[in-house]
Amino acid sequence: MTLRLKLVLIALVTLLLPWAGFQFIQQMELLLREGQERAQLSSARALAQAFVATAPALPATGRVAVLPDAPPVLLLDGSPDDWQDAALQPWPSVAPLGRVHLAARASTLYGLIEVHDPSRVRADPDPLAAGATDHVELRLGAGDRRYVYELGNAAPGPLQVRVDAPDAPALRGEWVETAEGYRIEFSLFLPRDGLALAAHVVDAGATGGTRSHPVFGDPGRGEDTLLLWLDDAGFSRALQPLVPPGARLRVLAADAHVLGKAGNLDVGDIASRTPWPNSWIYRALLAPPLVDASDYAWDLDTLDVDEVWQALSGIEASVWRPSNNERTVIVAAAVPLRWDGAVRGALVMEQSSDALLVIANDAVAKLMATSLIAVLVASLVLFGFAGILSFRIRRLRNATERALRPDGRLDPKLPHLQSVDEVGDLSRSFARLLDELGGYNDYLRTLASKLSHELNTPLAIVRSSLDNLDHEPLPPEARVYADRARAGADRLWGILRTMHEASRMEKAIKAAEAEDFDLTRVVRGCAEAYRGIAGNRQVHMMLPESPIRFHGAPDLIAQALDKLFDNAKGFTPEGGWIRIKLALDVEGVEISVANSGPPLPAKMQERLFDSLVSMRDAGSLRAAGEVPHLGLGLYIVRLIAEAHDGSALAYNLPAEAGVEFRLRLKGMPR
Amino acid sequence: MARQIAIVEDEPAIRANYSDALRRLGFEVQTYASRPEASSGFDIRLPDLVLIDIGLGDEPEGGFELCRELRQKSATLPIIFLTARDSDFDVISGLRLGADDYLTKDVSLPHLTARINTLFRRVDALRRPQGAEATLKNGDLSLQPERMRVTWKDVEVPLTVTEFWMVHTMVRHPGHVKSRDALMRDAQVVVDDATITSHIKRIRKKFLAIDANFDEIETMHGAGYRWRA
Repeated sequence: MTLRLKLVLIALVTLLLPWAGFQFIQQMELLLREGQERAQLSSARALAQAFVATAPALPATGRVAVLPDAPPVLLLDGSPDDWQDAALQPWPSVAPLGRVHLAARASTLYGLIEVHDPSRVRADPDPLAAGATDHVELRLGAGDRRYVYELGNAAPGPLQVRVDAPDAPALRGEWVETAEGYRIEFSLFLPRDGLALAAHVVDAGATGGTRSHPVFGDPGRGEDTLLLWLDDAGFSRALQPLVPPGARLRVLAADAHVLGKAGNLDVGDIASRTPWPNSWIYRALLAPPLVDASDYAWDLDTLDVDEVWQALSGIEASVWRPSNNERTVIVAAAVPLRWDGAVRGALVMEQSSDALLVIANDAVAKLMATSLIAVLVASLVLFGFAGILSFRIRRLRNATERALRPDGRLDPKLPHLQSVDEVGDLSRSFARLLDELGGYNDYLRTLASKLSHELNTPLAIVRSSLDNLDHEPLPPEARVYADRARAGADRLWGILRTMHEASRMEKAIKAAEAEDFDLTRVVRGCAEAYRGIAGNRQVHMMLPESPIRFHGAPDLIAQALDKLFDNAKGFTPEGGWIRIKLALDVEGVEISVANSGPPLPAKMQERLFDSLVSMRDAGSLRAAGEVPHLGLGLYIVRLIAEAHDGSALAYNLPAEAGVEFRLRLKGMPR
Repeated sequence: MARQIAIVEDEPAIRANYSDALRRLGFEVQTYASRPEASSGFDIRLPDLVLIDIGLGDEPEGGFELCRELRQKSATLPIIFLTARDSDFDVISGLRLGADDYLTKDVSLPHLTARINTLFRRVDALRRPQGAEATLKNGDLSLQPERMRVTWKDVEVPLTVTEFWMVHTMVRHPGHVKSRDALMRDAQVVVDDATITSHIKRIRKKFLAIDANFDEIETMHGAGYRWRA
C-alpha cells in the first residue's frame, strides 16, 4: 500500500465529522420530540382530569358491551324469534346456562336471557320467595346509584320484578317456560348515566340451596359487571367540549374498548407506511420507529396497542406514527383516567406534529453538504500532501538507487539536502552514508596503486641487491637460487606495475586533451597493426569508407582498442577470427571487437569491466610463469569509454559463435 | 681520476646497493641520507653526477629542493632523479628544475649505469671543441648523439636523456614506425604504454614551444610513432 493511499484512508477519518453532526441532530431531534411528547402528554393529562370531572364515572372493573341496535320490531313476549336479526353478543360464560341477547334503542335496553335449568323451583306467586327459587338477579349501576332487580316468576306471564329501591328505572318483561328451563325477555329504561349492568342466574336446587351463576364477565376473575355503552352515549358528548383544535380524543374503557371519541386531525391518517420520497435522509437516519397507523384507525372498537395498555396500567405513554402528509407525523398520547385514584380507563389524544421533520431534514441535508465539502477538501489536501511527500521520498529513493551505480561507483546527487524536515534528515543521512561508502570505495580503488607504491621501495632493494649479487662469486648451486629469486622479484614487479597502471591511466584519462580527429583512420591504423601480431588468427575489419569526425583523445581510443584486441586475442583459439567494426550509431559511434571463442558466463557479463575482475584462469597462467592477469585491461577500457561519455558492454554472439565487446562513444565534452 | 657520484637516498639498503654497484664500475661514490647532509657535503665539493631521491626522510619534496640548490651551484652538473614516485606531476616538477633524467626505482642497475655513462659521455663531449662530431640532420632537425644535443631550426630543444634517446631512435630511420617496445628498449626504460605516450607528448610539447607548426612526430595508432620522412 503506497503512502498516498494510506493517507487517503486516514483522510476518511474526517467522515467522523458528519457522524458527530448527525449524532447531534439526532439528539436534538430526540429532545424536540420528547418535548413535543411531554407537552402533548401534559395536555392529555389536563384533558383527562377535565373529563373525569365532567363525564360520568367509568365502572371500576368489568367488560364493555357495545349494545347493538335493537331490532325494529321487538315484542316483549318472551319469544326469541324477533331477535333473529339482532347481532348476538357472544357470552361464553353464559353458554351452559343458555343464551343472552342484549340490544338497545333510544335509551332502552332490551334483553333476552335463556336459562337451561332442568330443576324447576318456581316461586310462589305471592309472596315471591326469590331467595329459594330460580330467578335472575340484575344489578344496574347508574352513576353512583346501584339498583338490584330480582326477576322470578312462578308461572309464565309478565315478568315479576322485585326491586330494592323505589326510584329504580322501570323494568318490565315476560317470563316463558321452555323445555330446558325458562326464558326472560325484558326492557329497561337506561338513565343517561346508567352504564354498568351485572346479571346472575340464581338456580335453586331441589334440596333447597341455591347456586349463583354470573351471566356477564368471567366468574373466575370476579368480573361480573358489564359496562354498557351505547353509540349515542354520553362519553362522546362529554368529550366534545374538551377537544383542542386539530386533535382528536378517545376514551377507552379498562379493556381498551372505545367508549367515546371526538375531534378531527388536521391531516389525514394513512393506513400504511408509504415512504416519503423527499425525506429519505430523515427516514433513513433519523426517523423514530413509527407504529402502524392502522392500529390507531378512527373506527376501531378496541385500541389494542401497547401504549393504551400501558396507560390502563397507570403509566402515561406516547407514540409517533406517519400521516398522509410527509412533513407531518401524528403523536398519540395515552393517559390513564382515574376516579378516586383508581385507573378505570384511558384517554388517547392524537395530534399532528410538523416542522420538526423539516428542521431535521434541512439540518441533515446541510450537514451532509458541509461535511461532504469538508471531507473533499480534507481528502484533497491530504492527497496533495501525500503526493508531495511520496514524490519527495520517491525522488530520494531514485537518487539513492542511482547513487550506487551498477559498476559500484558512487554518484551521490541527493535531493532535499536543504530541507529541514525528516525527509531532509533522511537525505542527509544517506548523503553521509554515501560519502563514507564513497570514501571506502576510493580507498579500495586506490589501494592497488598505494600498495604498489609502498611495495616499490622494498622491491627496489631486492632487485638492486640481486643485481649486485650477479657480480659476486657464487657457487653454481647458489646461482640457481639467485636466479629464482630474480625471477620471483621480476614477477612481483610486473604485478605491481600492472596494479599501478590503472591509477596511472585514470590520471592520464583525466589529463587527456580532446581534439577533433578521424576515428576511421585511428581504428584502421590499429586494426592493421593488429594483423601483424594476430598470428594465424584472422583479423576482419568492418570500417566505413568515409572518415568519421570525432571529438576525443585518439591515444586513449587506441589504447582501449589495444586492450580489447589483447583481450580478444587471448580468448581466440588458433585459427579463429577477430572482427573489428566501427559504425555510426544514433547518438555517436560504436566500436566493437568480436572474436570467436568461448562465450562469457552470464554472471560475468556485468562485472567484466570492473577493476580486478578477470575471466582468465589465474592458475594456468601462473604455471606458465607469466604475470597473473589482474583484469585491469577491460576496466581501463571502461574508463576510456566513460571519458568519451559512452559505455562499454560485453555480449555473447548468437549460437555461441563468440563474444563481442562494444564501445558506444558520444565524444568528449567540448 | 675516478669520477665522483653522489647518491642522496634515505633508504640505507638502496643507498648501499647503488653505491656498491657504482663503485664496482670504478666510480667514487659518496652517499647522503638527508638533504642537509647532502647540502653541506656539496658545499665542500661538487661531485661529477648526482642521483637524488625526491622524498628524503621527513621531507617529501627534499629532492626537488636539493636539485634547485645544485643548479644554482652548477648549470652543467648532471642530475638524475631516482624515486619510487612516477606520477607525471613529479616528473614535470623534477624536469622543470633542470634535472637531466628521471628514473623510477624499478630501473635495473644495468639501465642505471647505462644512463650514468651516457651522461658522463655527454659531459665529456660538451667539453670537447665542437665540430669533429657526427651530426644527424633531417630537415630542420639537427641531432648530435655525443653531446645529446638536439636543435630544431637551430634552437636547442631541452630533452632529457630518455627523451633524447626516443627522438634519436625515431630520427635515425625517418618514416619507419617505431613501436612502443622499440622506443622503450632504446630509451633503456621499462614502463607501461601510458608512460611512453606521455613521454612522446612531452617531447612534442618541447618542440612545439620552439615551433608552433611542429608536426614531425606522427602517431601510428596501434603501431607506434614515426618521424616524418
